[in-house]
Amino acid sequence: MSKLVRIAKNEIKIALREKLVVSLGVLISALLGIALFAGYLSYKQQERTIIRTQDEKRKEWLGQGDKHPHIAAHYGTFAFKPKTVFSMFDFGLDTFTGTSVYLEAHYQHEFMFRPAQDHSSMIRFGELSGALVLQVLLPLLIIFLAFASFTKERESGTLRLLISQGISFRALAYGKILAYLLMLLVLLTPFLLGVILLSQSGVDSDALLDMGTRLLFLLLLYSSYLFLFISFSVWVSLKSATGRNALLTLLTFWIFFTMLMPKALANMGESFYKLPSMRLFKTQIQHDIDNGLDGNTSRSVRMAQLEKEFLEEYHVDSIQQLPFNFDGVSMQAGEEYGNKIYDHHLQNLRGIFHKQNRLGSIGSLINPYLAIQHLSMGLSGTDIHTSMHFEDEVEEYRRNLVKRMNDDMAQNSKYGEFYEYKAGKSLWEGIADFSYRSPTAIKAISNYKVELASLMIWISTILVLLNQVDQKKKTPL
Amino acid sequence: MNTISKTILKYEWKTFVRNRYQVVMLLASFVFGLYAIYYGQSEIDAQRETIVTITDLEDVEFSSYRDSFKGALESSAQEQMHDIASRPEFAWFRHGYHAILPPHDYAALAIGQRDLFRYYYRLTGMSLHYQLFENELANPVNLLAGNFDLSFVLIYLFPLLIIVFCYSSFSAEKENGTLPLLQVQSVSIGKIILLRLLFYFTIITGLALLISFIGLFASGDLLDAENRIPAIIWILGVVTYCAFWFALLFLIISFRKSSAFNAMIAAGLWLLFLIVVPALLNIIVTTKYPLSSTTLAGLTRRTGLENENDENESREVIMEFLSHEPGLAASDSLIHHNMPAKAYAAFTALKDINSNQEVTRYNLEVEKRSRWTKGFHWLSPSVNLQHLFAQVAKTDLETFLQFQKALTHFHGDITDFYFEKLFWDHPIQLEDYSNLPSFKIPPTHSNLYGVGTSLAKSGVMALIAFLVGFIKMKNQ
Repeated sequence: MSKLVRIAKNEIKIALREKLVVSLGVLISALLGIALFAGYLSYKQQERTIIRTQDEKRKEWLGQGDKHPHIAAHYGTFAFKPKTVFSMFDFGLDTFTGTSVYLEAHYQHEFMFRPAQDHSSMIRFGELSGALVLQVLLPLLIIFLAFASFTKERESGTLRLLISQGISFRALAYGKILAYLLMLLVLLTPFLLGVILLSQSGVDSDALLDMGTRLLFLLLLYSSYLFLFISFSVWVSLKSATGRNALLTLLTFWIFFTMLMPKALANMGESFYKLPSMRLFKTQIQHDIDNGLDGNTSRSVRMAQLEKEFLEEYHVDSIQQLPFNFDGVSMQAGEEYGNKIYDHHLQNLRGIFHKQNRLGSIGSLINPYLAIQHLSMGLSGTDIHTSMHFEDEVEEYRRNLVKRMNDDMAQNSKYGEFYEYKAGKSLWEGIADFSYRSPTAIKAISNYKVELASLMIWISTILVLLNQVDQKKKTPL
Repeated sequence: MNTISKTILKYEWKTFVRNRYQVVMLLASFVFGLYAIYYGQSEIDAQRETIVTITDLEDVEFSSYRDSFKGALESSAQEQMHDIASRPEFAWFRHGYHAILPPHDYAALAIGQRDLFRYYYRLTGMSLHYQLFENELANPVNLLAGNFDLSFVLIYLFPLLIIVFCYSSFSAEKENGTLPLLQVQSVSIGKIILLRLLFYFTIITGLALLISFIGLFASGDLLDAENRIPAIIWILGVVTYCAFWFALLFLIISFRKSSAFNAMIAAGLWLLFLIVVPALLNIIVTTKYPLSSTTLAGLTRRTGLENENDENESREVIMEFLSHEPGLAASDSLIHHNMPAKAYAAFTALKDINSNQEVTRYNLEVEKRSRWTKGFHWLSPSVNLQHLFAQVAKTDLETFLQFQKALTHFHGDITDFYFEKLFWDHPIQLEDYSNLPSFKIPPTHSNLYGVGTSLAKSGVMALIAFLVGFIKMKNQ
């Protein structure tokens, strides 16, 4: 053990002499600080506006005055996507998913206003977030720290000396890994404390469930990711003849993993599985509503059928004799049919999304950057699954709202009447305000089994490789 | 060129072709370039297909209106169709017109914001703001990942190529022990390095230009009036950008440090220009000019009169609207006829008038952001070039903001067309169908001054790097 510590100590001393490495370290801590501060500011700004606007919309809904329930259902209300606390650390898809939606009868509106639309094309370079620094920039620092860890000793001849003193390659490697881990720990501790502090303070109501578990998972994941990068870099250095080779190899991996592969995979997904245009998507939905899913049950046929069913069930000759307003019932039936069709098309659409994203998921098996990127977004509640979960909850809320309006109309108004009947505040109050709760941490992470497997495979592979370095003829001196 | 220079270049060529690794890298970059061109084309082709599909949908819609004027109306469906075609009280909110922003030929090379913004809208006479903010379907995961288009290859990958080829131009001689040999020659070491860089500059910039020409040729007719200037700007951008990176490498080399040190510095600068600077600017602009679309969201609500049967309410709304549009004020008896339709039309038009200010204010904020960031483009020639490419390919934010403004005008044309008929109780005739409103994209004059300054910014950066490097090289 003491041997390991001695090696690590020595390594740290050497690393701190490298001005370039130290300045990059300083730069990265500064960037982490800025990222966290800006992330926090932006989270606060957004959260405040969303809470305020949601309140306003609630007041508008309650104060809309007396009117026919169906008009109220069209007046509708809005849902705004809440920012999660951890979005201050990992923006994830937040810039590219819509932020609000209008909820009214008959139509499923899509989410509008993607924040990226308020930016020039520079937004496509990415935004500075803690996650970006940890996932992309920190590995570069690790490469700079570790690429020469063995090659330098080899080039200066000290490696032979060390080995001749009975120190194993393995012990050397672990000593160096320990040193780099300790240095990163020192570098990251202020940031980590910042995240914990900011995510605990000033957050009254957050949409994110299981914050503690999520934070713990994030910690674990990022530690494994950084450990992986350090060990891999040390191993490459151990296997390389010169520092120059080690550096070039590592930089090639870095570029390939963080820049080329993610983009290429996303683009391939896009090319293989084409999305329909919004116009076509909506046209098909309308077409199916008009003609029925089977293509030959038009709305009037469906309504006639419904009428017949009700007349038979209540043993009456005309809908006027029904004990409720048939208009309300037929309106709700139409609503439910429309929902069925919408669900059918939405499922197809999400199927395409899923196929497109699956490529990235499979890709994460060879690319740990993709694995950590997906997992981190998932745990921060800024990934596609949380986003879809939110959309589903909103749609559920809309359906419930519309149904309540239709039911009220059926129960309390007369057939053929419209403007004569007015509902009031008590009905509006019967609809609870919308509030969102994310899935649990376990649920969030269970969407990313492949990514988890990837990290585990990578770590076990690297451990096996490190354990084999002392076998004869495997490692150059 | 004197014989010594010739000899140096000859030997550079020999070492270059012998180094398989380098040749493979060039080939790989070429293949990436071709893939990027193909990918960009397929993305933009998909948009073109969508445009054809929706134009067809519109043609079908309007020919069924036209057809309803010919021949007798036999079924109720035919009668219904004729009503929609000829009666303004139905037509004004049912007839849908597409406003389309067709892609520029070079959009395939720099997709820019084209996958993020809508490039077509179907507008009826209904409230504009109810129709304006719907998004196009897109997978946010792919939006985040961005596009592997030619602009990406040139902006991200070519600097790496330049780094790999040049970082050890001097240090390798030192590390291989050949430096003393060079130092005893009659030419200065500085000149040898310069010639070497020039040699690689020719090869790599040549490759970048080759891929660019392939892309430009494959995407459209180079001689077309729409394409000539953009193509020239593209080429100038590529050359300036390559020159900048070579100058930067020259500067790094001039410090005569080790290969590993140079590689680290170069990789660090790549990171700075391509990730840190833009990411930092983006986060600063987000917090400095906070924008919340929540204010716009409210405008998308579909509202109507409290009670369509209440004549007083209807009249009030109509009168208020007519005060804005006195030309539509017909006689009182005409207002009485078709009152609910007129009242609803007046209501939505008033709503647009009232919310117009909010939308304009919002767009001004977006423009303010974009102006602020533009002021810092010089910090990174990469950001600068990306903006230039997007400008050339008309896939930048400005193009889409312009499009939005044009939509507002077009919506005005549509409502003018229908409201005149609605408020004056003129039925729509078959002849009117040859006079329908149609969308015209406002002519955009290419901002040559802006382009020039943005090229100059990168050029000046390149020059400074080169000069400092030159002095440094000479002094040692």
